Amino acid sequence: MSRDSYITLITSLPYAGELFSVSQTPISRIQLEARLSFLTPEDATQLQAIEGLLWWSSHSHETSDAEIAVETKRLLADLKNEWLRQLIRQRMEFRTLVAALRRRRRGESAPDLHTDWGFGRWLGVIHRNWSEPGFNLERAFPWVLEANRLLREEDHLGLERLLLGEQWRSLDQQGEGHYFDFEAVVAYVLKWGIMDRWSSYHGEGAVRRFEDVLDDAVGEYAQMFA
Amino acid sequence: MNEFVMALGWVGIYGPMALGAIGSVIGCALAGQAAIGAMIETESGHGRYVGISAMPSSQVIYGIVVMFTLNRVVTPEAAAGMFGIGLLCGLALMFSAIYQGRSCAAAINAAKAKPEIFGLSLAPAAIVEGFAVFAFVFALVLSADLPGVK
Repeated sequence: MSRDSYITLITSLPYAGELFSVSQTPISRIQLEARLSFLTPEDATQLQAIEGLLWWSSHSHETSDAEIAVETKRLLADLKNEWLRQLIRQRMEFRTLVAALRRRRRGESAPDLHTDWGFGRWLGVIHRNWSEPGFNLERAFPWVLEANRLLREEDHLGLERLLLGEQWRSLDQQGEGHYFDFEAVVAYVLKWGIMDRWSSYHGEGAVRRFEDVLDDAVGEYAQMFA
Repeated sequence: MNEFVMALGWVGIYGPMALGAIGSVIGCALAGQAAIGAMIETESGHGRYVGISAMPSSQVIYGIVVMFTLNRVVTPEAAAGMFGIGLLCGLALMFSAIYQGRSCAAAINAAKAKPEIFGLSLAPAAIVEGFAVFAFVFALVLSADLPGVK
């Protein structure tokens, strides 16, 4: 694929903007799907496979870590594009590290190295440094100590903000030099997914705020006929 | 041998036009695709996107002018010089048109997101145009000094 294959598609997509300054995605999923019809059937299939693997929402709760690891290896074997392979490796390593933090927070011991509980180069390092706050991976993942702190303080929104911000920054870095090619399309769609997730928190927050305001308003009159 | 050298002279005459046309075709197509994409996304300003996408067409015009300047009786003394000037000028025009097309596509994409940078976003394409003008002007200057011109 040439680096100019998707000029029309990319220019037809609205500017993604800054992650935390948006309250909703710049384009609806239906519109995005319509624009993605410019993709060749092969690229559309690849994008679908990548999205299917990388978004939690596409996995059912019954999907085990081992199944996801097998799916990752299968997809990596199918993909010829080294940029996409690297993107998936990095994202799965990221998720492995987050999964390790959550497991430790639940009080679990270091996972058995012979089980497919995660993916990537750092499984051994995580296993050996289970008791270290950042698994001795602070240099490779500078955000890990902050994530550990937020998890310990049960600041779930803060943790989500940190993790989504890191994924966004990583996509920005990986997307450098790709302007009108398939890689740029993949980076945009993955960023759209991050925005969609973040904006859904805005929606949930708005509902909570509305309920609080409603409670306050009703509260004033709650005793009126008591 | 003479026939071969004479043939090179003819390549030199037609080269700037042909290579300039190839570059303009690719450059305008790249920028044109960006303009079409921007039209899908935006509600107004479509005319200026189409206008930008025509920028890489200037190279074929320069190529035509160089072709007419070199279009003279081909002699063994002048043929090698005509070939050198024509081919290299043509290549410069072709690559400048292709890369100008990419610059225009990027400008359209950026201006669509931030209309206030519309003018500034065209600066890279204008700089590329400047290099095409260098190749064009100096091809004309050098063609006047070719040996054996009749």
